[in-house]
Amino acid sequence: MLAARLVRLVATLLAVSFLTFFLVNTLPGDPINALIPPDAQQDQEFVAQLREEYGLNDPFFVRYGSWLSDAVSGDLGRSVITDQLVTDEIKHRIPVTGELAIVSIGIAVLLAIPLGVTAGYRQGTKIDQSISALAQFLLSIPSFIVGLVLIYFLSIRLRWLPATGWTRLTESVTGNIKTVIMPAISLALTEIAVYTRIVRSDMINTLKETYVLSAKSKGLKDRFILFRHALRPSSLTLTTIVGLNIAGLIGGTVVIEQLFALPGLGKRLLDAIFQRDFIMVQGVTVFMACVYVVINTCVDLFYMIIDPRIRRKS
Amino acid sequence: MEGITRMSYLLGKRGVVFKLLAVLLAATAVASACGSDSSSDDAAPAATTAAPAEETATTEAPETTDAPATTATPTTTTEAPPVGPSQGGSASLAIEAEATGLRPWEDTCSSPCYNMMNAVFDKLTEQYADGSYGPMLAKSWESNDDYTVFTVQLQEGVSFTDGTPLTAQHIADMFVVQQTGAASAGVIASSNLIGVEATGDLEVTYTLSATNGPFMAVLSRAPMGMVFNAALVPAGDEDAMAAAANAPTGIGTGPFMVTNRDVDNRTDMERNPNYWMSDNFGTQLPYLDSVSFHPIPDEGTRLDSLSSGTVTAMQTLRQATIRDARTVAEDGSLWMFEFQGNNAGGGMFNVLVPPYDDVRVRRGLIMATRQDAIIAALGGEGISEPATQLYAEDSPWYSEEAAEAYASYDFDGAMALLEDYINDADRSDGKAVGEKLDVVLSCPPDPTLIAAMEVTQQFWNETGLVNTELTAFDQATHINMALGMGNEFRGEHEVHCWRWGSESDPGGENSGSAPWETSPFNFSNWHDPEHYALLEEARTTDDVPTRAALYAQASIMVNEQVPIYFSGGTATAIATAAGLGGFDSWILPDGEIGIGHPSAEGRWGQAYWTETE
Repeated sequence: MLAARLVRLVATLLAVSFLTFFLVNTLPGDPINALIPPDAQQDQEFVAQLREEYGLNDPFFVRYGSWLSDAVSGDLGRSVITDQLVTDEIKHRIPVTGELAIVSIGIAVLLAIPLGVTAGYRQGTKIDQSISALAQFLLSIPSFIVGLVLIYFLSIRLRWLPATGWTRLTESVTGNIKTVIMPAISLALTEIAVYTRIVRSDMINTLKETYVLSAKSKGLKDRFILFRHALRPSSLTLTTIVGLNIAGLIGGTVVIEQLFALPGLGKRLLDAIFQRDFIMVQGVTVFMACVYVVINTCVDLFYMIIDPRIRRKS
Repeated sequence: MEGITRMSYLLGKRGVVFKLLAVLLAATAVASACGSDSSSDDAAPAATTAAPAEETATTEAPETTDAPATTATPTTTTEAPPVGPSQGGSASLAIEAEATGLRPWEDTCSSPCYNMMNAVFDKLTEQYADGSYGPMLAKSWESNDDYTVFTVQLQEGVSFTDGTPLTAQHIADMFVVQQTGAASAGVIASSNLIGVEATGDLEVTYTLSATNGPFMAVLSRAPMGMVFNAALVPAGDEDAMAAAANAPTGIGTGPFMVTNRDVDNRTDMERNPNYWMSDNFGTQLPYLDSVSFHPIPDEGTRLDSLSSGTVTAMQTLRQATIRDARTVAEDGSLWMFEFQGNNAGGGMFNVLVPPYDDVRVRRGLIMATRQDAIIAALGGEGISEPATQLYAEDSPWYSEEAAEAYASYDFDGAMALLEDYINDADRSDGKAVGEKLDVVLSCPPDPTLIAAMEVTQQFWNETGLVNTELTAFDQATHINMALGMGNEFRGEHEVHCWRWGSESDPGGENSGSAPWETSPFNFSNWHDPEHYALLEEARTTDDVPTRAALYAQASIMVNEQVPIYFSGGTATAIATAAGLGGFDSWILPDGEIGIGHPSAEGRWGQAYWTETE
């Protein structure tokens, strides 16, 4: 099973890297234009020298092969714009984006589970309706609007938190909390709504299962039934979505990163695309694909932990 | 906390979830109470040549290193500081974009990056308030009669931040690196520079292949003017080149040294305790103990960051943000340092593409457009002045005659020109007589630029003679379309938003008007040998009145032919927390006042907190 997953992982990464390389190469514009100002582009000899230096004159497959052989040995190349190693850039930025993704999803899960369980358990009541309305409301607010509102109240009015910027955990824990909290909440609110709906829906179905009815008939307390017997089997869909979200947020927090001026991976990828920094785009995209595949594999394995039936089947 | 407890009770869940939430929020509150966060701790020149950037300052664009143009007098809404500068303190500046790197010879630099580089590196020359050039690390200079050899004497007693004394050999060594530098190689070619030699301990000789009267202006911008220690970037050492992007200690002689560079987040600098410059009262510079730079791309949150005290200063190149900052500043909490120099929004026609190859179409379209409406659409009403040439009214290169020659709004005149073209049996676009013109106007997809395009479209369509299509491409694509590297510099544009002019000397670059077949920098592809000859002649002297007369003639020709057009001057500003100033009072080593803060480029080595009484 593990070998099959590994083969799938490698095949996926190869396909992603090839497609990314192909797509980046089809983008309009020449990376040399981004690299040097127009007056320098008058010097054709200099331009030709740079093109040679960056291998831009080689055929597509030669360039891809060269990049791939380096990538396999862990060398994702250097940015053509900044000369920084792509791996260094990823190492520098993944703690920011990773923490943001984990904290925002953590907040969302912590709030969505009780809300979803309550709504499912109280199906059709005013509590259920209220929670559903809240979820609908949260779902309809774009994360950047939430960000702007938070900045207005927590930064400008109350001056509790810095409006922008990022303090790394290694520099200051309190500083880090202060810089992560607003962007994380901005991202979390939409997820809270989604997770709440998923948990509610799964919970309603689970509560109709015979083993739950059996537990009820034994006179077990509601809270015990909900969290001991019903929550775990009701979490499979949530687990899948959370896994996909974590992977998605690794590259998908760019709007929030831009708004709060965070040095994350999504922003770096976006800048690289606009700069036609093809080596950076290639490296970061493959890294993100790798994260995606690994997290999905972890989610599959997690299924077996939370649902004994899947474990037994495996 | 009470609210959380009540919510837990209402939901009947007093479990782990709410405890965790409470802990999280409590931690935030504690963190808020534990002092400020790390961020807030700190307390064409000739006609067609110009910086490639789009209309107004609304999008980030690579600024050419020494695009032509000149100077204007700084304007500011801030009153002079009530008391003098105090020594010490910190400042933090929110900039609109991160610097690609801090290598003057390699990294294409625009306004945000110049704020940072100016703090780390000193230039050989600087601009006075009147736009002329004065000493910085170059103490004095002289040239031969035909301006092909410039002999420069360096200041004495200057050291790099690691203590290495600056000598003429450092300048000569820089040239080796600059010849292959991505940002400097083109400047070397366009300035006719062929050799730099140390001819004494502190004497450097620059040799040019052809006359260039205003050559010293080239030494006032980053690629050729900023002095760095080339020993830190040995040829072929990729790691050293990468490290240099973060400006390691010893690379510059400037007032600050980089102590931490967290790209896209913050760059921290501390004062250079051995900095060589003093103010007019003998106080050693810089005044500030430290300064940090924070890239905040979003205009709104950049201003929010200043309003909330997250940073103590911000820069902006957008008129709409200046308007908002003025509002915030009304209560006295902010100081505004505004500047309206030679940088102007506008656009160009690709004169190789019909119907723009016909001056009747070019003039007709511009005469059908009201500048004030475009400026309003760009958010510059009451902020941005209408532009008529590459130079602002208070520039020494400004020409009243050229202003009168500009194709100002004249609807009837526009109709006459366009009808004349449309009804011409030999019209260049190959359409039938009487058929409407098809034009394509393109700008980067910035909201204010889109608004300006839509207003322009209304004006042109209102003639009933034009079908206007609007397109928008990301900035890199927008610039590449105009460069035309893939089609022998013809470009793939039609009517293209562009930003024109800069504060640099107009003689620095003439390639914007050179034959388009040889110059990607001639974006509109308009070339008139007579016009080009005027620009070349202006490089044969350093006499300002003579040169001004030549540039005036050139500007008139441009305004008659309309290969390029203008909307309004691009106002820029540095806004600061009240008390932080010094941006329009900084001096050159000879004690004379410098140019101020064009393009929101501050000289942080002379910024200060005012002393409180």
